Amino acid sequence: MIHEDMICPFCGCLCDDLVIETKGTEVVRVDNACTLGSHKLMNAGKHRLKGPIMRDSGQWRDASYEEAIEYAAGILLDADRPLLYGWSSTQGEAQGTGVSMAELLGGVIDSTTSVCHGPSILAIQEVGHPGCTLGQVKNRADLIVYWGCNPTEAHPRHMSRYTTYADGYFLENAFRDRKLILVDVRKTETASIADEFVQVKPGGDYAVLSALRAIVRGREDVVPPTVAGVTKEQLLRVAALCKEAKFGALFFGVGLTMSPGKYKNVRNAIELVDELNRHTKFTLTPLRGHYNVYGSNEVFTWMTGYPYAVDFSRQIAFYNPGETTAVDLMARKECDAALIVASDPGAHFPKKCLEHLASIPTVLIDPMHTMTTPLVKCQIPTAVTGMDAPGTAYRMDGVPIHVKKFLDLGYPTDTEIIGKIFEKVKEVRHP
Amino acid sequence: MMRIVLTMKERTNPHIPIEAEKINPAFLMWGTDDLTVWEGNKERRLDEIFEVEVEGTATSVNEVEVVLRGDTSRVKRIGEYMDGGRITVEGNVGMHCGNFMAAGTIEVMGDAGGWFAREMQGGAIICHGDVGHYCAAGYRGEKKGMRGGKVEVFGNAGDFTAEHLFGGEVVVHGNCGDMPGVDMQGGYLTIHGDCSRPCGNMTKGKCTVLGCVSEMPPTFKKEGEVEGPDGLPLTHFTGDVANRGKGNLLVRHYQYLE
Repeated sequence: MIHEDMICPFCGCLCDDLVIETKGTEVVRVDNACTLGSHKLMNAGKHRLKGPIMRDSGQWRDASYEEAIEYAAGILLDADRPLLYGWSSTQGEAQGTGVSMAELLGGVIDSTTSVCHGPSILAIQEVGHPGCTLGQVKNRADLIVYWGCNPTEAHPRHMSRYTTYADGYFLENAFRDRKLILVDVRKTETASIADEFVQVKPGGDYAVLSALRAIVRGREDVVPPTVAGVTKEQLLRVAALCKEAKFGALFFGVGLTMSPGKYKNVRNAIELVDELNRHTKFTLTPLRGHYNVYGSNEVFTWMTGYPYAVDFSRQIAFYNPGETTAVDLMARKECDAALIVASDPGAHFPKKCLEHLASIPTVLIDPMHTMTTPLVKCQIPTAVTGMDAPGTAYRMDGVPIHVKKFLDLGYPTDTEIIGKIFEKVKEVRHP
Repeated sequence: MMRIVLTMKERTNPHIPIEAEKINPAFLMWGTDDLTVWEGNKERRLDEIFEVEVEGTATSVNEVEVVLRGDTSRVKRIGEYMDGGRITVEGNVGMHCGNFMAAGTIEVMGDAGGWFAREMQGGAIICHGDVGHYCAAGYRGEKKGMRGGKVEVFGNAGDFTAEHLFGGEVVVHGNCGDMPGVDMQGGYLTIHGDCSRPCGNMTKGKCTVLGCVSEMPPTFKKEGEVEGPDGLPLTHFTGDVANRGKGNLLVRHYQYLE
């Protein structure tokens, strides 16, 4: 069976032009997707856990969904500071139920944003977001800046769908008219097609952004001959390219958000864009990773007022990244139970955090055996949104897209499982 | 004079944070019976968490002295909105100590957690040990950090010390982490030790670094040499030029990330 106009549930691009051919529960062909998306979709039905598993005196044993749900509700209800973490690779509907449950439990809910583009949001909260949709970039931008990211390998279709290789309605010869500037600490694949490759010393992004701001303001007299490994001549060239553009679009990745200075780097980038808007039109967009990490920020914000790291322990929403973020809670051993949904902290968190995670009762909701599995006491497999479950996801520019299903493997969705845990919690808290 | 001694009791799980904004002379002077604190998501009576001893009486908040003993390293928000009196913490203290404090004195004999003296407006707050990140800074997205009063840290301070500083004085006798005085808009910041990348994007105020600055921001204009408080020369910069800033940054030694 051929499924057309399917949505790729891999990265924040949420490509919506995929063609997937299935035979029964097997995927036999995927067209239009990048390597990353194809690999995920071609293996759609493979490597799934058959049913919930629980740890019994050091050994895994099979369990029923009812037993696993009962256990999850029990540990969350018993906890003084439960943590509900993950949420970026699941449907918006599940995220909403998670927020309601966190509120009733008096827990902390955090998404993987806190370890990727959380600093971008902190910067946006300080100075605003000069953003636009990717359609605007595709049709208008004649200058693209990629800062601290490598779209060729991490968002492979970003360049062909929205920037360098895409046709633009207002550009006669988009490929030749569009200039590309890449700023990174190392020469990546993307550098080979860039008109200007700016190699910054690690940790030097803030200084380079400050120097560019000063140059755009006409104060190059104060800028020293080299800034973080970049010559003043190159900085002058980059500033001129930016000012000459009709429409510039700056995209940045975790190279900017997770290097020293974090959100101050992003704030400086926003203020550079602000400065450039005195000369031309310029926008800024974070290159979000997981396909629905932006959705978690949207859902959390419209439900709680805060985009991630929301602490309900005092029955009101409190937000303070650094205090209420998952890594900090685990490193300080604060949380005494955890529900991990659709994410893999086992592969990404510091060892100190994982040691704590392994010492407390933890339930993982994930379709496959992951690096987090060995650290938890119970795992509940669910359907994968975009494969065997439909749902809502938000693209990196904040556009909501309905993600479709093309398989039926019989697994319950994340929303159903979290909804059932929430029902059990409500039975105790609102009998 | 009224003296209230609060001694932490043993807890089953000592890692769960306690939020105790009620540990403030203004509340404690009227009695401790109705006061509660939050241990994780559970509201507890003050005497479930602390042994409470009260001596004497007070007619004004300025006659109240509060002493905290035991392991108070996870107790947050001590002295939040404090408007008089004195709090002495004999050990370490958790985050947000002295948030929005307007008057009175807080003295911490050990180390303090993050957001020490956040958005302080007046009074004095002293830490004899090290403080965490965001000492004398603002809340997330807040444009103004500390607005008045004095913060003195005898140990080291973490990253983003005095971020968004708007008024008052911050003195760190040890070293500071990354980006002290970033987005500073007024007030005085003095660092006796070393730090990296001070005062990025500053618009007003004065920062003096008597140690060595690494990764000096490239957008400050060198004005010349001036005499420091210790009689030795300092290099005077103004900026941040990237932001049309008119702040003053005085440093003893500095190094650019070239």
